[in-house]
Amino acid sequence: MVTAEALRGIVGNDWVVTASDQIELYRIDSTPPAMMPKAAENIIVVKPSTAEEISQILKLANQDPTPVYVRGGGTGMAGAAIPTRDGIVISMERFDKIEEIDTRSLMAVAQAGVTLGDLLVAADAQNMSFPPHPGDEGAQLGGLAVCNAGGARAVKFGVMRNYIKGMEVVLPTGEIVTMGGKLLKSNTGLPLMHLIIDSEGILGVVTKVTLRLYPRFPGTATMVISYDDRNDAINTVPAILQAGVIPLAIEYMDREIAELTANYLGMKWPAQQGTAYLIVILSGSNEDEVYSQAEMVAEVCQRFNAVDTLMAERREEQSDILKIRSEVQSAVSPNADSLDTAVPPGDIGTFMAEVDKIAEKYNTKIPVVGHAGDGNLHHILMQEIADRGILDDIKLEIYDLVMKLGGSLTAEHGIGKKSIKLLDRYLDDRQKQISRDIKKAFDPNNILNPDTAIVP
Amino acid sequence: MDIIVPVKQVPDMERVKFDTEAGRIDRSSASGEINPFDLNALETAVQLKEKLGGTVTTISMGPPQAETSVRDSLARGADRGILLVGKEFAGADTWATSYALAAAIQKLGKWNIIICGEKTVDGDTGQVGPEIAEWLDIPHVAYVSEIRDASESGITVVCEMEADHYGIESPLPTLITVTKDINVPRLPSFADKMKARKAEIEQWGASDLSEFADPTNLGLKGSPTRLNKVVIPSEEGRKGEVFRGSPEDATKKIADALQALGVLGSAK
Repeated sequence: MVTAEALRGIVGNDWVVTASDQIELYRIDSTPPAMMPKAAENIIVVKPSTAEEISQILKLANQDPTPVYVRGGGTGMAGAAIPTRDGIVISMERFDKIEEIDTRSLMAVAQAGVTLGDLLVAADAQNMSFPPHPGDEGAQLGGLAVCNAGGARAVKFGVMRNYIKGMEVVLPTGEIVTMGGKLLKSNTGLPLMHLIIDSEGILGVVTKVTLRLYPRFPGTATMVISYDDRNDAINTVPAILQAGVIPLAIEYMDREIAELTANYLGMKWPAQQGTAYLIVILSGSNEDEVYSQAEMVAEVCQRFNAVDTLMAERREEQSDILKIRSEVQSAVSPNADSLDTAVPPGDIGTFMAEVDKIAEKYNTKIPVVGHAGDGNLHHILMQEIADRGILDDIKLEIYDLVMKLGGSLTAEHGIGKKSIKLLDRYLDDRQKQISRDIKKAFDPNNILNPDTAIVP
Repeated sequence: MDIIVPVKQVPDMERVKFDTEAGRIDRSSASGEINPFDLNALETAVQLKEKLGGTVTTISMGPPQAETSVRDSLARGADRGILLVGKEFAGADTWATSYALAAAIQKLGKWNIIICGEKTVDGDTGQVGPEIAEWLDIPHVAYVSEIRDASESGITVVCEMEADHYGIESPLPTLITVTKDINVPRLPSFADKMKARKAEIEQWGASDLSEFADPTNLGLKGSPTRLNKVVIPSEEGRKGEVFRGSPEDATKKIADALQALGVLGSAK
């Protein structure tokens, strides 16, 4: 195994950490504790500041075979960043510079350790916007890229993959490569960059990303629509899209989750009526356009028995609502597990109703939040379910249902280290083998983030 | 209970840019919105109306685009909105602003309570509310964080001054200014927003106030305050420095560095 001494030779004495109390936070991420893989004991944390330093570390790790794990904001929910074998954790915290907000090409170039929150502020300062909101604002761009994060506000313009136009990557064998650039079109050879996006850190260390920006939307509004029946709320979602309105986001929340999260944040959930809510975020080139979309949304919601429709236009009122939605996972933690499945958007009503039947069968409740416009729901499996020993049974019933509906096991959290068995159960053998072959082509000695994302 | 809520349109302070050389706010850099404290005042008024009946009227003084803030106050529960607009009102300091608002309130005639936000986020003086009360010669209570009781004859409130809380009773008519702690303003419904978009906003000019206001006391002419210079402090970013040596040496160096920056007193 590579020694701390050798790493100090690369990054300097100040940037290698071995004291156990100082590495504790590098051994966990935001995976529900009950599902979190166990971290190894002998970890060396190293904090490089250049791609060249990372290259040297990886070359060393190949010479003296040592597992290497890359650490961003620690907001992943599938344990991908957890060092499960004795080895090196590369923390990206010093890659924190936004190199450029290019208002001519509408692109941002930023180092991988820049947080989502910092990018949003920097873009806003130049009258630009980065439309998606892939979860926790403490997440780092490198992590968001390799996890292909989604979050809210993906309905209109898509998930991280749709924004990533270029990358600087250190390959597991140490070569520093550049892929793509400030380009909206580029069909040059195989799209390796898109293989790295969503590879969960097993194919390379992303050190820099180029992201597409949009001009700041002159008009935005956030609607909160209340229902007495969650099925009515969910059934509204495809109808909104069919009506010709494509919002930035259509989110779903149960009342108890909304209030629990608001309390957790010391805030107040704005809706007084109803037990189930849709949050619809609209954008337009002016206020009139936003209002005309809002009228169409309100009319559809009315048809599906909405009991109240609120509308926020002030920036802080809109961000309060989004904050409550974005912090649900932290507020409901700890729980037994939080699922991340997706079904075709048109089938989301069937999906919700069928999961309710499963809950009824097991005499339990399964609260739901989700990116309803994307067909992506997070069913929250409470500790009570694990205590009764029915966690695996319920999960498998839900996953079987998702597969039957042509859905995805994980829409945005990824397989990580948490769901390898699940992937093994549902993925065909040929695709498993191709995935292993690709990993081997990038990383012949399997040093980078082993035990993650592919079936061994 | 008839309630009046003066509201001011302010720029979104998180987004607004400052022209540091000219020492002024670049108002075109951010959209205008109701002063956040005035939202608490409006919510207080609407809650009182829901409990006791009556009406809520908002009055704003500002440029024509301040009409959007008056509309927003209608969406949030006000029954009537009035905008004082015209070049005669321009350039007013807190003295001339409160004078004009007090004249408009006199013109309205019938009211029981005036509720203001404790201050505005752009001016930050907290003077206009109490000054309106002085012009109208009515009692006022500033920094109200709770209304304990309200009836047609009087109001009992809790006000916060420094670290203390005071329970205060006031007869009506009266004026209170409220803090952010008094409530969480509700979100307007979409239906109310649509109604407010189509509502008629009454616009009053200086001539509409001639019965109650001397025109020479309005706007810049009526403002004793003269602005000499605005200094916009530069933003300091985070800084870091690594101090090396034995724990004792390093501690001393850190203390010296903090003293040099003026954030730590000298060690005895």
